[in-house]
Amino acid sequence: MAEWTTKQMMAVAVARQIKDGQVCIVGTGLPLIGTALAKNTTAPNAVLIFETGMIDGGPQEVPTSVSDLRISYRASALWPQYRYFGFQTNSLKKNKVDIGFLGGAQIDPYGNLNSTAIGDYYHAAVRFTGSGGANGIATYCDTIIIMQHQKRRFCEKVDYITSPGWIDGPDGRAKLGLPNKGPQVVITELGIMRFDEKTKRMYLAEYFPGVTPQQIQDNTGFELDISRAVESEPPDAEVLHILTTKIDPQRLMV
Amino acid sequence: MNVQNKVMTLEEAISKFVRDGDCIAFGGFVTNKKPYAAVREIIRQGKKDLYIETGAAAGDVDMLIGAGCVKVLFNSYVANSGFSQVCRRFRKYVQEGKILWEDYSLDVQTILYHAAALGLPFVAVKNMLGSDMVNKWGIPEEVWRNDPKLPSRKLIVDRNPFNPEEEFCFIPTPKIDVAIIHVQKAAPDGTARIEGPVFNDIELAMAATNCVITCEELVHPEELRHEPWLNQIPNVVPDAVVHVPYGAHPSQCANYYDYDALFFRMYDRISGDDELFKQFLDEWVYGPKDHFEYLDKLGASRLINLRVRPGYGYVPGLKRR
Repeated sequence: MAEWTTKQMMAVAVARQIKDGQVCIVGTGLPLIGTALAKNTTAPNAVLIFETGMIDGGPQEVPTSVSDLRISYRASALWPQYRYFGFQTNSLKKNKVDIGFLGGAQIDPYGNLNSTAIGDYYHAAVRFTGSGGANGIATYCDTIIIMQHQKRRFCEKVDYITSPGWIDGPDGRAKLGLPNKGPQVVITELGIMRFDEKTKRMYLAEYFPGVTPQQIQDNTGFELDISRAVESEPPDAEVLHILTTKIDPQRLMV
Repeated sequence: MNVQNKVMTLEEAISKFVRDGDCIAFGGFVTNKKPYAAVREIIRQGKKDLYIETGAAAGDVDMLIGAGCVKVLFNSYVANSGFSQVCRRFRKYVQEGKILWEDYSLDVQTILYHAAALGLPFVAVKNMLGSDMVNKWGIPEEVWRNDPKLPSRKLIVDRNPFNPEEEFCFIPTPKIDVAIIHVQKAAPDGTARIEGPVFNDIELAMAATNCVITCEELVHPEELRHEPWLNQIPNVVPDAVVHVPYGAHPSQCANYYDYDALFFRMYDRISGDDELFKQFLDEWVYGPKDHFEYLDKLGASRLINLRVRPGYGYVPGLKRR
Protein backbone atom coordinates (compact mmCIF):
# COMPACT_ATOMS: atom_id res chain seq x y z
CA MET A 1 0.00 0.00 0.00
CA ALA A 2 1.21 3.49 -0.83
CA GLU A 3 2.29 5.90 1.91
CA TRP A 4 0.30 9.09 2.20
CA THR A 5 -0.14 12.15 4.41
CA THR A 6 -3.38 13.33 5.98
CA LYS A 7 -3.57 16.33 3.63
CA GLN A 8 -3.11 14.03 0.64
CA MET A 9 -5.91 11.75 1.86
CA MET A 10 -8.15 14.81 2.23
CA ALA A 11 -7.33 15.97 -1.31
CA VAL A 12 -8.15 12.50 -2.63
CA ALA A 13 -11.42 12.53 -0.64
CA VAL A 14 -12.30 15.90 -2.23
CA ALA A 15 -11.49 14.58 -5.71
CA ARG A 16 -13.79 11.57 -5.16
CA GLN A 17 -16.79 13.86 -4.56
CA ILE A 18 -16.50 15.47 -8.03
CA LYS A 19 -18.31 13.81 -10.93
CA ASP A 20 -17.20 14.32 -14.51
CA GLY A 21 -18.66 17.41 -16.14
CA GLN A 22 -19.68 19.08 -12.87
CA VAL A 23 -19.39 22.84 -12.41
CA CYS A 24 -17.68 23.58 -9.09
CA ILE A 25 -17.23 26.88 -7.26
CA VAL A 26 -13.73 26.57 -5.92
CA GLY A 27 -11.67 28.44 -3.35
CA THR A 28 -7.93 28.15 -2.96
CA GLY A 29 -6.22 25.55 -0.82
CA LEU A 30 -7.54 21.99 -0.56
CA PRO A 31 -10.69 22.56 -2.66
CA LEU A 32 -8.56 23.68 -5.59
CA ILE A 33 -6.03 20.87 -5.10
CA GLY A 34 -8.79 18.28 -4.80
CA THR A 35 -10.79 19.48 -7.79
CA ALA A 36 -7.61 19.82 -9.88
CA LEU A 37 -6.83 16.21 -8.96
CA ALA A 38 -10.35 15.19 -10.04
CA LYS A 39 -9.82 16.94 -13.38
CA ASN A 40 -6.58 15.03 -13.87
CA THR A 41 -8.07 11.65 -13.00
CA THR A 42 -11.77 10.77 -12.90
CA ALA A 43 -13.45 14.05 -13.91
CA PRO A 44 -11.53 15.54 -16.86
CA ASN A 45 -14.50 17.69 -17.88
CA ALA A 46 -15.14 19.27 -14.47
CA VAL A 47 -15.32 23.07 -14.74
CA LEU A 48 -13.77 25.20 -12.02
CA ILE A 49 -15.26 28.64 -11.42
CA PHE A 50 -14.18 31.28 -8.92
CA GLU A 51 -15.96 34.12 -7.12
CA THR A 52 -13.59 36.62 -8.76
CA GLY A 53 -15.34 35.88 -12.06
CA MET A 54 -12.48 33.80 -13.47
CA ILE A 55 -14.25 30.96 -15.27
CA ASP A 56 -12.79 27.58 -16.26
CA GLY A 57 -9.12 28.51 -16.02
CA GLY A 58 -6.44 25.82 -15.93
CA PRO A 59 -3.87 26.80 -13.32
CA GLN A 60 -0.45 25.27 -13.95
CA GLU A 61 0.87 26.42 -10.57
CA VAL A 62 -0.97 26.46 -7.24
CA PRO A 63 -2.65 29.87 -6.81
CA THR A 64 -2.58 31.60 -3.42
CA SER A 65 -5.98 33.25 -3.74
CA VAL A 66 -9.07 33.25 -5.93
CA SER A 67 -7.73 36.45 -7.51
CA ASP A 68 -4.28 35.01 -8.30
CA LEU A 69 -3.51 35.47 -12.01
CA ARG A 70 -2.41 31.81 -12.02
CA ILE A 71 -6.16 31.02 -12.09
CA SER A 72 -6.81 33.14 -15.16
CA TYR A 73 -4.40 31.05 -17.26
CA ARG A 74 -6.38 29.86 -20.31
CA ALA A 75 -9.69 30.81 -18.69
CA SER A 76 -12.93 30.90 -20.67
CA ALA A 77 -13.72 34.43 -19.52
CA LEU A 78 -12.85 36.92 -16.78
CA TRP A 79 -16.23 38.27 -15.74
CA PRO A 80 -16.83 41.37 -13.66
CA GLN A 81 -17.73 40.06 -10.21
CA TYR A 82 -21.39 41.01 -10.40
CA ARG A 83 -21.77 38.83 -13.50
CA TYR A 84 -20.40 35.88 -11.56
CA PHE A 85 -22.74 36.50 -8.63
CA GLY A 86 -25.69 36.81 -11.02
CA PHE A 87 -24.71 33.45 -12.48
CA GLN A 88 -24.54 31.97 -8.97
CA THR A 89 -27.97 33.35 -8.06
CA ASN A 90 -29.56 32.20 -11.31
CA SER A 91 -27.99 28.75 -10.91
CA LEU A 92 -31.18 27.87 -9.03
CA LYS A 93 -33.28 28.06 -12.18
CA LYS A 94 -30.60 27.24 -14.72
CA ASN A 95 -29.22 24.37 -12.63
CA LYS A 96 -25.70 25.29 -13.77
CA VAL A 97 -23.74 25.01 -10.51
CA ASP A 98 -23.31 21.55 -9.03
CA ILE A 99 -21.27 22.18 -5.93
CA GLY A 100 -19.45 24.91 -4.00
CA PHE A 101 -16.76 24.64 -1.36
CA LEU A 102 -16.84 26.18 2.12
CA GLY A 103 -14.67 26.19 5.23
CA GLY A 104 -14.85 27.77 8.63
CA ALA A 105 -13.66 27.97 12.22
CA GLN A 106 -16.78 26.33 13.72
CA ILE A 107 -19.52 24.01 12.46
CA ASP A 108 -22.67 22.71 14.18
CA PRO A 109 -24.60 19.43 13.62
CA TYR A 110 -26.67 21.03 10.83
CA GLY A 111 -23.67 22.37 8.91
CA ASN A 112 -24.08 26.02 9.91
CA LEU A 113 -20.65 27.62 9.65
CA ASN A 114 -18.82 30.40 11.47
CA SER A 115 -15.96 32.18 9.71
CA THR A 116 -16.44 35.53 11.45
CA ALA A 117 -15.62 35.55 15.17
CA ILE A 118 -15.06 33.29 18.19
CA GLY A 119 -16.73 34.44 21.40
CA ASP A 120 -18.86 37.57 21.64
CA TYR A 121 -19.16 39.14 18.17
CA TYR A 122 -18.82 42.65 19.61
CA HIS A 123 -15.75 41.83 21.71
CA ALA A 124 -14.37 38.85 19.81
CA ALA A 125 -11.78 36.62 21.44
CA VAL A 126 -10.58 35.80 17.92
CA ARG A 127 -11.72 37.65 14.84
CA PHE A 128 -11.58 36.05 11.38
CA THR A 129 -11.94 37.60 7.94
CA GLY A 130 -15.72 37.27 7.76
CA SER A 131 -17.77 35.78 4.96
CA GLY A 132 -15.82 36.43 1.80
CA GLY A 133 -18.04 34.83 -0.83
CA ALA A 134 -19.05 31.97 1.48
CA ASN A 135 -22.48 33.24 2.53
CA GLY A 136 -23.67 33.54 -1.07
CA ILE A 137 -22.46 30.04 -1.92
CA ALA A 138 -24.21 28.70 1.22
CA THR A 139 -27.39 30.55 0.21
CA TYR A 140 -27.65 29.30 -3.37
CA CYS A 141 -25.63 26.10 -3.76
CA ASP A 142 -25.10 22.57 -2.49
CA THR A 143 -21.79 22.56 -0.68
CA ILE A 144 -18.79 20.50 0.36
CA ILE A 145 -17.33 21.74 3.66
CA ILE A 146 -13.67 21.30 4.57
CA MET A 147 -12.83 21.53 8.28
CA GLN A 148 -10.18 20.72 10.85
CA HIS A 149 -11.67 18.03 13.07
CA GLN A 150 -11.45 19.32 16.64
CA LYS A 151 -13.96 19.23 19.47
CA ARG A 152 -13.98 23.04 19.83
CA ARG A 153 -14.67 23.45 16.10
CA PHE A 154 -17.43 20.83 15.90
CA CYS A 155 -19.79 22.35 18.45
CA GLU A 156 -23.47 22.16 19.37
CA LYS A 157 -23.96 25.86 18.59
CA VAL A 158 -21.64 28.12 16.59
CA ASP A 159 -20.82 31.56 18.04
CA TYR A 160 -21.90 33.33 14.83
CA ILE A 161 -23.61 31.99 11.71
CA THR A 162 -21.71 33.31 8.70
CA SER A 163 -22.97 30.69 6.23
CA PRO A 164 -26.30 28.99 6.85
CA GLY A 165 -26.44 25.20 6.62
CA TRP A 166 -29.64 23.26 7.31
CA ILE A 167 -30.33 25.73 10.21
CA ASP A 168 -32.13 23.42 12.70
CA GLY A 169 -33.55 20.62 10.61
CA PRO A 170 -35.40 19.68 7.44
CA ASP A 171 -37.57 22.83 7.21
CA GLY A 172 -35.04 25.23 8.74
CA ARG A 173 -34.10 26.87 5.49
CA ALA A 174 -37.62 27.15 4.10
CA LYS A 175 -38.78 28.95 7.27
CA LEU A 176 -36.13 31.61 6.67
CA GLY A 177 -36.83 32.02 2.96
CA LEU A 178 -33.66 30.22 1.88
CA PRO A 179 -33.49 28.09 -1.29
CA ASN A 180 -33.58 24.32 -0.81
CA LYS A 181 -29.83 23.78 -1.27
CA GLY A 182 -27.31 23.08 1.46
CA PRO A 183 -24.37 21.17 2.91
CA GLN A 184 -23.87 17.69 1.44
CA VAL A 185 -20.49 16.56 2.74
CA VAL A 186 -17.99 17.56 5.44
CA ILE A 187 -14.41 16.43 4.87
CA THR A 188 -11.86 16.56 7.70
CA GLU A 189 -8.45 15.03 8.34
CA LEU A 190 -10.25 12.11 10.07
CA GLY A 191 -13.08 11.23 7.73
CA ILE A 192 -16.22 12.17 5.84
CA MET A 193 -19.55 13.26 7.33
CA ARG A 194 -22.87 13.52 5.50
CA PHE A 195 -26.33 14.77 6.50
CA ASP A 196 -29.26 12.50 7.25
CA GLU A 197 -31.91 12.79 4.57
CA LYS A 198 -34.76 13.04 7.11
CA THR A 199 -33.27 14.97 10.04
CA LYS A 200 -30.55 16.93 8.16
CA ARG A 201 -28.26 16.18 11.09
CA MET A 202 -24.62 15.27 10.49
CA TYR A 203 -23.59 11.59 10.63
CA LEU A 204 -20.30 9.80 10.07
CA ALA A 205 -20.21 8.24 6.60
CA GLU A 206 -16.53 7.27 6.27
CA TYR A 207 -13.45 7.12 8.48
CA PHE A 208 -10.01 7.31 6.91
CA PRO A 209 -7.72 4.26 7.16
CA GLY A 210 -5.94 4.30 10.52
CA VAL A 211 -8.72 6.26 12.24
CA THR A 212 -11.55 4.73 14.33
CA PRO A 213 -15.16 6.00 14.43
CA GLN A 214 -14.83 6.40 18.21
CA GLN A 215 -11.79 8.65 17.68
CA ILE A 216 -13.94 10.84 15.45
CA GLN A 217 -16.74 10.98 18.04
CA ASP A 218 -14.13 11.92 20.66
CA ASN A 219 -13.05 14.87 18.50
CA THR A 220 -16.63 16.03 17.91
CA GLY A 221 -18.40 18.35 20.35
CA PHE A 222 -21.84 16.90 19.68
CA GLU A 223 -23.42 13.46 19.42
CA LEU A 224 -22.51 11.99 16.03
CA ASP A 225 -24.26 8.93 14.59
CA ILE A 226 -21.33 6.60 13.81
CA SER A 227 -23.42 3.48 13.17
CA ARG A 228 -23.40 3.82 9.39
CA ALA A 229 -19.69 4.49 8.98
CA VAL A 230 -17.41 2.51 6.67
CA GLU A 231 -13.65 2.74 6.16
CA SER A 232 -12.55 4.88 3.19
CA GLU A 233 -10.64 3.31 0.33
CA PRO A 234 -6.98 4.29 0.69
CA PRO A 235 -5.61 6.45 -2.15
CA ASP A 236 -3.86 4.48 -4.84
CA ALA A 237 -0.26 5.06 -5.82
CA GLU A 238 -1.01 6.50 -9.25
CA VAL A 239 -3.37 9.13 -7.88
CA LEU A 240 -0.81 10.12 -5.24
CA HIS A 241 1.84 10.38 -7.94
CA ILE A 242 -0.33 12.76 -9.98
CA LEU A 243 -1.11 14.77 -6.84
CA THR A 244 2.49 15.30 -5.79
CA THR A 245 4.16 15.60 -9.18
CA LYS A 246 1.58 17.38 -11.31
CA ILE A 247 -0.98 19.14 -9.11
CA ASP A 248 1.25 20.47 -6.34
CA PRO A 249 4.90 19.80 -7.22
CA GLN A 250 6.04 22.77 -5.10
CA ARG A 251 4.22 21.07 -2.19
CA LEU A 252 2.55 24.32 -1.15
CA MET A 253 -0.59 22.51 0.00
CA VAL A 254 -0.01 18.75 0.30
CA MET B 1 -14.75 69.88 -15.97
CA ASN B 2 -11.51 69.74 -17.90
CA VAL B 3 -12.08 66.83 -20.24
CA GLN B 4 -8.73 67.20 -21.97
CA ASN B 5 -6.15 66.82 -19.24
CA LYS B 6 -6.81 65.28 -15.84
CA VAL B 7 -3.19 64.32 -15.19
CA MET B 8 -1.86 65.27 -11.79
CA THR B 9 0.62 64.00 -9.25
CA LEU B 10 -0.47 61.49 -6.63
CA GLU B 11 0.01 64.16 -3.94
CA GLU B 12 -2.30 66.53 -5.80
CA ALA B 13 -4.95 63.89 -6.54
CA ILE B 14 -5.17 62.63 -2.95
CA SER B 15 -5.14 66.11 -1.38
CA LYS B 16 -7.72 67.37 -3.86
CA PHE B 17 -10.20 64.48 -3.75
CA VAL B 18 -9.77 62.64 -0.43
CA ARG B 19 -11.09 64.57 2.57
CA ASP B 20 -11.19 63.53 6.21
CA GLY B 21 -14.45 61.69 6.91
CA ASP B 22 -14.98 60.65 3.28
CA CYS B 23 -16.26 57.26 2.14
CA ILE B 24 -13.43 55.84 0.00
CA ALA B 25 -13.64 52.74 -2.21
CA PHE B 26 -10.62 50.81 -3.43
CA GLY B 27 -10.51 48.62 -6.53
CA GLY B 28 -8.70 45.31 -6.90
CA PHE B 29 -9.11 42.03 -5.02
CA VAL B 30 -6.94 40.82 -2.10
CA THR B 31 -3.48 40.41 -3.69
CA ASN B 32 -4.43 41.62 -7.18
CA LYS B 33 -4.31 45.21 -8.51
CA LYS B 34 -4.77 46.99 -5.20
CA PRO B 35 -4.04 50.75 -5.51
CA TYR B 36 -1.22 50.61 -2.97
CA ALA B 37 0.59 53.77 -4.15
CA ALA B 38 -2.57 55.77 -3.39
CA VAL B 39 -2.99 54.00 -0.04
CA ARG B 40 0.55 54.97 0.98
CA GLU B 41 -0.09 58.58 -0.07
CA ILE B 42 -3.33 58.71 1.96
CA ILE B 43 -1.36 57.56 5.00
CA ARG B 44 1.44 60.07 4.28
CA GLN B 45 -1.13 62.87 4.15
CA GLY B 46 -2.61 61.70 7.48
CA LYS B 47 -6.22 61.42 6.30
CA LYS B 48 -8.60 60.61 9.17
CA ASP B 49 -12.01 59.07 9.91
CA LEU B 50 -12.38 57.36 6.52
CA TYR B 51 -15.30 55.05 5.74
CA ILE B 52 -13.92 52.19 3.63
CA GLU B 53 -15.71 50.16 0.94
CA THR B 54 -13.78 47.64 -1.10
CA GLY B 55 -15.16 44.09 -1.34
CA ALA B 56 -12.28 41.69 -0.80
CA ALA B 57 -9.71 43.78 1.07
CA ALA B 58 -6.22 42.91 2.19
CA GLY B 59 -2.97 44.65 3.11
CA ASP B 60 -4.23 47.90 1.57
CA VAL B 61 -7.02 48.32 4.11
CA ASP B 62 -4.94 46.71 6.87
CA MET B 63 -2.26 49.41 6.45
CA LEU B 64 -4.88 52.19 6.52
CA ILE B 65 -6.37 50.74 9.72
CA GLY B 66 -2.95 50.40 11.37
CA ALA B 67 -2.00 53.95 10.37
CA GLY B 68 -5.11 55.30 12.11
CA CYS B 69 -6.93 56.52 8.97
CA VAL B 70 -10.09 54.41 9.31
CA LYS B 71 -13.30 55.11 11.22
CA VAL B 72 -15.62 52.52 9.65
CA LEU B 73 -14.89 49.40 7.59
CA PHE B 74 -17.66 47.80 5.54
CA ASN B 75 -16.22 44.33 5.65
CA SER B 76 -16.53 41.06 3.86
CA TYR B 77 -12.90 39.90 3.91
CA VAL B 78 -9.47 41.23 4.91
CA ALA B 79 -6.52 38.92 4.22
CA ASN B 80 -3.45 38.66 2.02
CA SER B 81 -4.75 35.26 0.93
CA GLY B 82 -2.02 32.64 0.86
CA PHE B 83 0.27 34.76 3.02
CA SER B 84 -1.82 35.56 6.09
CA GLN B 85 -5.08 33.96 7.18
CA VAL B 86 -6.44 37.24 8.53
CA CYS B 87 -4.79 40.64 8.23
CA ARG B 88 -3.36 41.35 11.65
CA ARG B 89 -4.02 45.08 12.15
CA PHE B 90 -7.65 44.48 11.12
CA ARG B 91 -7.97 41.59 13.60
CA LYS B 92 -6.41 43.59 16.43
CA TYR B 93 -8.46 46.75 15.82
CA VAL B 94 -11.75 44.83 15.60
CA GLN B 95 -10.98 42.69 18.65
CA GLU B 96 -10.07 45.80 20.64
CA GLY B 97 -13.02 47.83 19.31
CA LYS B 98 -10.71 50.52 17.89
CA ILE B 99 -12.67 50.90 14.65
CA LEU B 100 -16.31 50.49 13.71
CA TRP B 101 -17.03 47.67 11.29
CA GLU B 102 -20.01 46.08 9.63
CA ASP B 103 -20.09 42.56 8.13
CA TYR B 104 -21.51 41.68 4.74
CA SER B 105 -21.13 38.84 2.31
CA LEU B 106 -18.75 39.61 -0.56
CA ASP B 107 -21.46 38.92 -3.13
CA VAL B 108 -23.77 41.39 -1.37
CA GLN B 109 -21.09 44.08 -1.47
CA THR B 110 -20.60 43.42 -5.18
CA ILE B 111 -24.35 43.60 -5.84
CA LEU B 112 -24.56 46.81 -3.77
CA TYR B 113 -21.77 48.40 -5.83
CA HIS B 114 -23.45 47.39 -9.06
CA ALA B 115 -26.76 48.86 -7.85
CA ALA B 116 -24.99 52.04 -6.67
CA ALA B 117 -23.42 52.34 -10.13
CA LEU B 118 -26.96 52.26 -11.55
CA GLY B 119 -28.10 54.91 -9.07
CA LEU B 120 -30.44 52.54 -7.21
CA PRO B 121 -31.29 53.14 -3.51
CA PHE B 122 -31.25 49.52 -2.28
CA VAL B 123 -31.12 45.90 -3.34
CA ALA B 124 -33.34 42.95 -2.40
CA VAL B 125 -31.37 39.71 -1.96
CA LYS B 126 -31.74 36.27 -0.41
CA ASN B 127 -28.10 36.44 0.64
CA MET B 128 -27.43 36.87 4.37
CA LEU B 129 -30.92 35.55 5.35
CA GLY B 130 -30.48 32.98 8.11
CA SER B 131 -27.05 34.32 9.02
CA ASP B 132 -25.96 36.54 11.90
CA MET B 133 -25.13 39.30 9.41
CA VAL B 134 -28.87 39.98 9.66
CA ASN B 135 -29.13 39.68 13.46
CA LYS B 136 -25.90 41.20 14.79
CA TRP B 137 -24.95 44.67 13.61
CA GLY B 138 -21.35 45.70 14.07
CA ILE B 139 -22.26 49.40 13.85
CA PRO B 140 -24.68 50.21 16.73
CA GLU B 141 -28.26 51.07 15.70
CA GLU B 142 -28.03 54.61 17.06
CA VAL B 143 -24.95 55.26 14.91
CA TRP B 144 -26.82 54.01 11.84
CA ARG B 145 -29.68 56.37 12.74
CA ASN B 146 -27.61 59.46 13.54
CA ASP B 147 -24.51 59.41 11.33
CA PRO B 148 -25.25 61.54 8.24
CA LYS B 149 -22.73 59.47 6.25
CA LEU B 150 -24.82 56.32 6.80
CA PRO B 151 -28.31 55.18 5.80
CA SER B 152 -30.73 54.83 8.73
CA ARG B 153 -30.33 51.06 9.04
CA LYS B 154 -28.00 48.26 8.00
CA LEU B 155 -30.89 46.32 6.43
CA ILE B 156 -34.53 45.33 6.65
CA VAL B 157 -35.82 41.75 6.28
CA ASP B 158 -39.24 41.94 4.65
CA ARG B 159 -41.58 40.36 2.16
CA ASN B 160 -41.31 40.84 -1.57
CA PRO B 161 -44.04 43.45 -2.29
CA PHE B 162 -44.88 41.62 -5.53
CA ASN B 163 -44.98 38.16 -3.98
CA PRO B 164 -45.65 38.24 -0.22
CA GLU B 165 -44.71 34.57 0.14
CA GLU B 166 -41.06 35.39 -0.46
CA GLU B 167 -38.72 36.94 2.14
CA PHE B 168 -35.83 39.15 1.14
CA CYS B 169 -33.09 41.16 2.74
CA PHE B 170 -33.40 44.83 1.70
CA ILE B 171 -30.01 46.55 1.92
CA PRO B 172 -29.30 50.24 1.18
CA THR B 173 -26.58 51.02 -1.37
CA PRO B 174 -23.45 52.85 -0.16
CA LYS B 175 -22.79 56.51 -0.84
CA ILE B 176 -19.20 56.50 -2.02
CA ASP B 177 -17.34 59.82 -2.19
CA VAL B 178 -14.19 58.70 -3.97
CA ALA B 179 -13.20 55.54 -5.84
CA ILE B 180 -9.51 54.84 -6.32
CA ILE B 181 -8.83 52.40 -9.14
CA HIS B 182 -5.51 51.17 -10.45
CA VAL B 183 -5.45 50.35 -14.19
CA GLN B 184 -2.89 49.24 -16.73
CA LYS B 185 -3.35 52.06 -19.25
CA ALA B 186 -4.95 55.49 -19.09
CA ALA B 187 -4.97 58.56 -21.31
CA PRO B 188 -4.76 62.15 -19.99
CA ASP B 189 -8.48 62.66 -20.67
CA GLY B 190 -9.40 59.82 -18.28
CA THR B 191 -10.05 57.00 -20.76
CA ALA B 192 -8.87 53.84 -19.00
CA ARG B 193 -8.17 50.25 -19.96
CA ILE B 194 -8.09 47.41 -17.47
CA GLU B 195 -6.31 44.28 -18.61
CA GLY B 196 -7.00 40.98 -16.87
CA PRO B 197 -9.75 40.64 -14.26
CA VAL B 198 -11.81 43.78 -13.53
CA PHE B 199 -13.34 42.67 -10.18
CA ASN B 200 -15.63 45.50 -8.86
CA ASP B 201 -13.53 48.30 -10.34
CA ILE B 202 -15.92 49.64 -12.97
CA GLU B 203 -18.87 49.60 -10.56
CA LEU B 204 -16.92 51.50 -7.91
CA ALA B 205 -15.65 54.06 -10.42
CA MET B 206 -19.22 54.70 -11.59
CA ALA B 207 -20.85 54.65 -8.13
CA ALA B 208 -18.46 57.18 -6.57
CA THR B 209 -18.93 60.95 -6.73
CA ASN B 210 -15.28 61.31 -7.74
CA CYS B 211 -12.88 58.84 -9.29
CA VAL B 212 -9.10 58.81 -9.13
CA ILE B 213 -7.37 56.57 -11.66
CA THR B 214 -3.80 55.48 -11.05
CA CYS B 215 -2.10 53.80 -13.98
CA GLU B 216 0.92 51.77 -15.03
CA GLU B 217 1.22 53.65 -18.31
CA LEU B 218 0.04 57.05 -19.37
CA VAL B 219 -0.64 56.69 -23.09
CA HIS B 220 -1.53 58.84 -26.08
CA PRO B 221 -5.37 59.05 -26.34
CA GLU B 222 -5.30 57.54 -29.84
CA GLU B 223 -3.69 54.41 -28.42
CA LEU B 224 -6.90 53.66 -26.48
CA ARG B 225 -9.43 55.11 -28.94
CA HIS B 226 -8.25 52.90 -31.74
CA GLU B 227 -10.03 49.91 -30.11
CA PRO B 228 -12.54 51.51 -27.73
CA TRP B 229 -14.29 48.21 -27.07
CA LEU B 230 -11.26 47.21 -24.99
CA ASN B 231 -11.70 50.18 -22.62
CA GLN B 232 -13.83 49.79 -19.49
CA ILE B 233 -13.84 53.32 -18.11
CA PRO B 234 -14.67 56.20 -20.48
CA ASN B 235 -13.11 59.65 -20.18
CA VAL B 236 -16.25 61.17 -18.63
CA VAL B 237 -15.92 59.12 -15.42
CA PRO B 238 -12.47 59.84 -13.89
CA ASP B 239 -11.56 63.19 -12.29
CA ALA B 240 -7.84 62.55 -11.92
CA VAL B 241 -5.29 60.46 -13.77
CA VAL B 242 -2.06 59.65 -11.97
CA HIS B 243 0.94 57.94 -13.51
CA VAL B 244 2.42 55.51 -10.97
CA PRO B 245 4.29 52.57 -12.54
CA TYR B 246 4.25 49.58 -10.15
CA GLY B 247 1.49 51.44 -8.33
CA ALA B 248 -0.08 48.16 -7.19
CA HIS B 249 3.11 46.75 -5.62
CA PRO B 250 3.20 44.43 -3.64
CA SER B 251 0.02 43.10 -5.33
CA GLN B 252 -0.29 41.72 -8.89
CA CYS B 253 -1.05 43.67 -12.04
CA ALA B 254 -2.07 41.61 -15.11
CA ASN B 255 0.34 41.83 -18.06
CA TYR B 256 2.77 43.84 -15.91
CA TYR B 257 3.95 42.15 -12.70
CA ASP B 258 3.30 39.32 -10.27
CA TYR B 259 2.77 39.79 -6.54
CA ASP B 260 5.81 40.28 -4.33
CA ALA B 261 5.32 37.16 -2.21
CA LEU B 262 8.31 37.85 0.03
CA PHE B 263 7.03 41.37 0.75
CA PHE B 264 3.67 39.87 1.79
CA ARG B 265 5.45 37.36 4.05
CA MET B 266 7.41 40.23 5.63
CA TYR B 267 4.17 42.21 6.07
CA ASP B 268 2.50 39.24 7.76
CA ARG B 269 5.37 39.06 10.27
CA ILE B 270 5.64 42.77 11.09
CA SER B 271 1.92 43.59 11.14
CA GLY B 272 1.33 41.32 14.15
CA ASP B 273 3.49 43.56 16.34
CA ASP B 274 2.73 47.21 17.22
CA GLU B 275 6.36 48.33 17.29
CA LEU B 276 7.40 46.46 14.11
CA PHE B 277 4.36 47.84 12.28
CA LYS B 278 5.31 51.39 13.30
CA GLN B 279 8.84 50.78 12.01
CA PHE B 280 7.36 49.41 8.76
CA LEU B 281 5.34 52.60 8.24
CA ASP B 282 8.42 54.73 8.96
CA GLU B 283 10.53 52.73 6.55
CA TRP B 284 8.11 52.03 3.66
CA VAL B 285 5.43 54.75 3.83
CA TYR B 286 6.67 57.90 5.62
CA GLY B 287 10.34 57.37 4.62
CA PRO B 288 10.05 57.62 0.82
CA LYS B 289 8.76 61.13 0.05
CA ASP B 290 6.77 59.87 -2.94
CA HIS B 291 6.03 56.76 -4.99
CA PHE B 292 9.21 57.04 -7.05
CA GLU B 293 11.42 57.06 -3.94
CA TYR B 294 9.48 53.95 -2.84
CA LEU B 295 10.41 52.27 -6.14
CA ASP B 296 14.05 53.32 -5.71
CA LYS B 297 14.02 51.74 -2.28
CA LEU B 298 12.65 48.45 -3.68
CA GLY B 299 15.34 48.51 -6.37
CA ALA B 300 15.35 47.81 -10.09
CA SER B 301 16.32 44.13 -9.95
CA ARG B 302 13.58 43.29 -7.45
CA LEU B 303 10.97 44.94 -9.67
CA ILE B 304 12.31 43.44 -12.90
CA ASN B 305 12.19 39.97 -11.38
CA LEU B 306 8.45 40.45 -10.79
CA ARG B 307 7.70 41.25 -14.48
CA VAL B 308 5.21 38.68 -15.77
CA ARG B 309 6.49 36.25 -18.38
CA PRO B 310 4.59 36.80 -21.65
CA GLY B 311 2.38 33.81 -22.46
CA TYR B 312 2.06 32.85 -18.79
CA GLY B 313 0.60 35.98 -17.24
CA TYR B 314 2.64 35.45 -14.06
CA VAL B 315 6.21 34.58 -13.06
CA PRO B 316 6.63 30.80 -13.34
CA GLY B 317 8.50 29.42 -10.36
CA LEU B 318 8.31 32.73 -8.49
CA LYS B 319 9.91 32.49 -5.04
CA ARG B 320 6.86 32.33 -2.79
CA ARG B 321 8.28 31.15 0.53
